[in-house]
Amino acid sequence: MDSSIRHDPNPESVRPDEPELDLYTIPSYSSWFAWNDIHETERQALKEFFEGSSISRTPKIYKEYRDFIINKYREDPTRRLTFTEIRKSLIGDVTLLHKVFLFLETWGLINFVAPPRPREGPDNDDRVRVEYGAPNGVRVVATPNSLRPLSAPVVKGKSGDNGVAENGVKLPPLASYSDVFGDLKRLRCGNCGDNCNSEYYEHSKDNFIVCVKCFKSRNFGENKSVDDFKLKDCGGNSAIYGAVWTEEETLLLLDSVLKHGDDWDLVAQNVKTKSKLDCITKLIELPFGESLIDSAKGRGNSSGPSMNINSAKPVLVPSSEHRENIINEDQGYDGTNENEQNGDSENQEPPLKKKCTTSTSDADSSLMKQVALISTMVGPQITAAAAEAAVAVLSDEMSCPREIFDGDQIDVTNGLLSPTLIYQPERAHNDEELEMKARSSPSVAESQETSQKKNDVPLPLRIRAAVATGLGAAAAHAKLLAEQEEREIEHLVATIIETQLKKLQSKIKHCEDAELLMEKEYAAIEELKEYILGERINILQRTFSVGISKLRELSSVQSKTGNLS
Amino acid sequence: MKPPASASWKAPLKFRMPTAENLVPIRLDIEVDGQRYKDSFTWNPYDPDSEVVMFAKRTVKDLKLAPGFIPQIVQSIQSQLADFRSYEGQDMYAGDKIVPIKLDLRVNHTVIRDQFLWDLNNFESDPEEFSRTLCKDLGIEDPEVGPAIAFAIREQLYEIAIQNVTSARENRINKKGRRGAEHFPLSKAGGAALDLMKLFNFRSSVVRKRKEWDYYKPILDLLSNEDVDALEAKEERSGR
Repeated sequence: MDSSIRHDPNPESVRPDEPELDLYTIPSYSSWFAWNDIHETERQALKEFFEGSSISRTPKIYKEYRDFIINKYREDPTRRLTFTEIRKSLIGDVTLLHKVFLFLETWGLINFVAPPRPREGPDNDDRVRVEYGAPNGVRVVATPNSLRPLSAPVVKGKSGDNGVAENGVKLPPLASYSDVFGDLKRLRCGNCGDNCNSEYYEHSKDNFIVCVKCFKSRNFGENKSVDDFKLKDCGGNSAIYGAVWTEEETLLLLDSVLKHGDDWDLVAQNVKTKSKLDCITKLIELPFGESLIDSAKGRGNSSGPSMNINSAKPVLVPSSEHRENIINEDQGYDGTNENEQNGDSENQEPPLKKKCTTSTSDADSSLMKQVALISTMVGPQITAAAAEAAVAVLSDEMSCPREIFDGDQIDVTNGLLSPTLIYQPERAHNDEELEMKARSSPSVAESQETSQKKNDVPLPLRIRAAVATGLGAAAAHAKLLAEQEEREIEHLVATIIETQLKKLQSKIKHCEDAELLMEKEYAAIEELKEYILGERINILQRTFSVGISKLRELSSVQSKTGNLS
Repeated sequence: MKPPASASWKAPLKFRMPTAENLVPIRLDIEVDGQRYKDSFTWNPYDPDSEVVMFAKRTVKDLKLAPGFIPQIVQSIQSQLADFRSYEGQDMYAGDKIVPIKLDLRVNHTVIRDQFLWDLNNFESDPEEFSRTLCKDLGIEDPEVGPAIAFAIREQLYEIAIQNVTSARENRINKKGRRGAEHFPLSKAGGAALDLMKLFNFRSSVVRKRKEWDYYKPILDLLSNEDVDALEAKEERSGR
């Protein structure tokens, strides 16, 4: 009977984001409980407190009992709180206290996660303990990730579960369903016992599963041949979104892409540990920089890049790849080539790729990524304007003829408009090739054109123009943000003023009340004064009538009355 | 005739045990021909008197006592029941009367001291249930302790109830020869009701001050065999 308390948490009833109850587990059927309120359930079960029958049984006293008992339990939820322990600290009828205690225990508000009472003799079983019925669910509140057992049972990855397809992107520390249960969904290698994060090899005859590592080192038993194994991805998702990539794999992928261009078979062969599809997917969503990972957008993207039409990321995705290529191409010219952040047009891809062979340093690429990101965050028009301004300033400063850029300028504007126009319809196709083209950001388009014309414009100039464009875009974005902040501040200030006004008003009201009180009191005092005066006169008259001997006293009293009135 | 027990009492109640079950605590201490029989139990006052005789015969047979015990047992039980019944029908003011119950008893090797509050007006109270919980919480294994505690509570409640009915007869009812060997409540029944207004007013909390916790918590001692022997010998002497 007690064991049902330790019922497995029902995943369906898990509500991970309820911080006010953190750490304490109560059954879901007790969710009515609130510290600052007394629920109908309590009123029903413990009627005596709410009938006003006695001074020793009031709702306030009940609440004190209840809060004390629960608090006492929560001092150490792992031990079983006993009635004897709490009754020494509470004033009141022990029978009543016991009733409250049993009520709280019945509802799992205390002793819910505590170890069950050791089983007693059969003579105690006749006591009716309704609370030991099977709970319909357990409410887990904001369970930290680390509490989950890592050696989780083998569960087939469900498609539609994002936990598998994390793409190596770190989720924010907020515990989510996928965070908590993500590792439950992973398959485990039949050989080494590791989680098969991304993909695994499955034996065609039995369901023997080997992770990639073990497969590579041929660690799957003698009686199985390599050909019997089939490469599988974990769940349908990973096929689309790619699986977890290590840094080495990513580097390898980039390297081989540079070498082999879009000959994906060769690339996949080079990367070895990943499938062709994986490689393509990975390349599509390759590094967007730390900034994206931090932002909420980045998270959204990691779960489904090909579904986000409006997010900034798809715009970036292809460029990141192409960017690499261009960087490599440009390395000979300039050390500060981070500005060449933009991709080429489709037709230029293959030749360029073949040209470049070395990869860039991290600092360059991350700066580039950020510039590119920034430029894509604002609208195409703004980017265009920024680019134009940059070009104008540059041409002034360099005292080189603006005509050099003129050819570009037209292309830039054209390029800006056209990609955004074709952008939406083509997204729907989800065709890789089309995406490449369609995703080209305005800035991408600009440098596309720039690179097309790269024979006409000197390269350093081009670079500077691009940098300036990026900065301009960043500035525009910053301005937007600043405006937003300003609005926010204004709003807050307005709220503060309003509150202050309210405060003043209530103060005034208070003063008025006080004044009224004072007036009343004043009137009362006046009345009292009159009365006393009357009394005094009365007494004086009597004294007067008694005899003339008191005349002296009378006169002094009279002078006093005169003062009073 | 009866002094008002509390200012806030309500409709007068007829006399009964202020517990859920109206059971009378019965204590027996009978000596016949050098054999001494001591026992304590509760009795339902509504059982027919023939049950008493049956019970006495049965007990004597089970315990292999001399047949001379039977009339003594019957007589003792019936007189105690008669005492109880003499109060029945009289008014008892139990409203809002919370009394401290003090336990100080030894059962075999277990010595337990405790203090807690009992509401005489709460007719849901169950001393047996309370003592069961207490024994479980304290991990007391001796099966005789629980009933002894319950009996001690009942005895005190009974006394207080009688005091409530009439203070004039209080002394007569407080029988001195009721000391049993196995259970002996040393404490006097706390007749004084607590000042409820002081305990439960709106300002003060119902949570006790920390330094008072020790007064209201059970203290458990397990005696060694020598201690028990010494105590019993002492009792024997004082009993004579």
